[in-house]
Amino acid sequence: MSVTTVQAETSQCLFEFLHMEIVSQLQQEAGPDKKGEVQQRLESLGHRVGESLVERTSRDHPRFKNELDAVVFMCKQFWVTAFNKNIDNLKTNHQDTYVLHDNAFRLLQHLSEGNQYREEAQTYLSFACGLLTGALSNVGIKCQVTAEVTKMPACTFQVKVLL
Amino acid sequence: MTIYNLYIFDRNCSCLYYKEWTRQKEAGIPREEEFKLMYGMIFSLKSLISRLSIISAKEGLVGYTASNYKLHYFETPTGFKFVMNTDTSVGNVQDVLRHIYARIFVEYVVRNPVARPGEHVDSELFAAKLDDYIQDLSFK
Repeated sequence: MSVTTVQAETSQCLFEFLHMEIVSQLQQEAGPDKKGEVQQRLESLGHRVGESLVERTSRDHPRFKNELDAVVFMCKQFWVTAFNKNIDNLKTNHQDTYVLHDNAFRLLQHLSEGNQYREEAQTYLSFACGLLTGALSNVGIKCQVTAEVTKMPACTFQVKVLL
Repeated sequence: MTIYNLYIFDRNCSCLYYKEWTRQKEAGIPREEEFKLMYGMIFSLKSLISRLSIISAKEGLVGYTASNYKLHYFETPTGFKFVMNTDTSVGNVQDVLRHIYARIFVEYVVRNPVARPGEHVDSELFAAKLDDYIQDLSFK
């Protein structure tokens, strides 16, 4: 393994372990049956991180032509910076909705390839939802993002642009 | 050539995972007692081996061969202990145990966000990956 791959791998690991611990701390603080609260806090953490991260990722990038161009950027460069891989598929109704498919979402990869832990899995998507809303809001697109676990480790993020 | 079973212990002598593929004879005691017995034996063997060793070496116990089965032992730097029983015709499986640790245990247990350290492993993904790997081994 070259130095760069080792570095990429360790920083991914570092992020994963930190994220794991943040989730578990928030869960402990919130107490049982407070999933919504935990997810909300993860989302707001993600939002703030997304705002900064998009600044860093897009610094050498020309201005976006349109909304779709910005979303495509999120699926490629932005997702690679955050999760070391592209979004696998992007669908849109050409109005206000974009659906991003990740066939092997980083934070679910080590969790399950079946239905085990499906309940828990939802929480591990909240940070990424926040990342997306934060990043998009910082390029001038106000939106709501919801995530859904499909067949683990795959999941989808639905971006609904608010007019 | 056959793999009989596998035990995974952590540093605090609890058995995190047990799996058997082919086992013809039970120990005749509850599983928990069997784990303790196994851990106790490994622990004692290790200290005997280092006590009686005539040269200083990093790794002591790697296993033993009985007349009817072979026990293989692998310990990680972090103190996880992998114990595998096979039939006597199986050669050195240190690499197999290392693979189970490095590519399966670390990936699907250590990096599993809902698995708490020191708790029994109940990830189905880990079990599936482990089983796939064992089934694929050429000497099986």
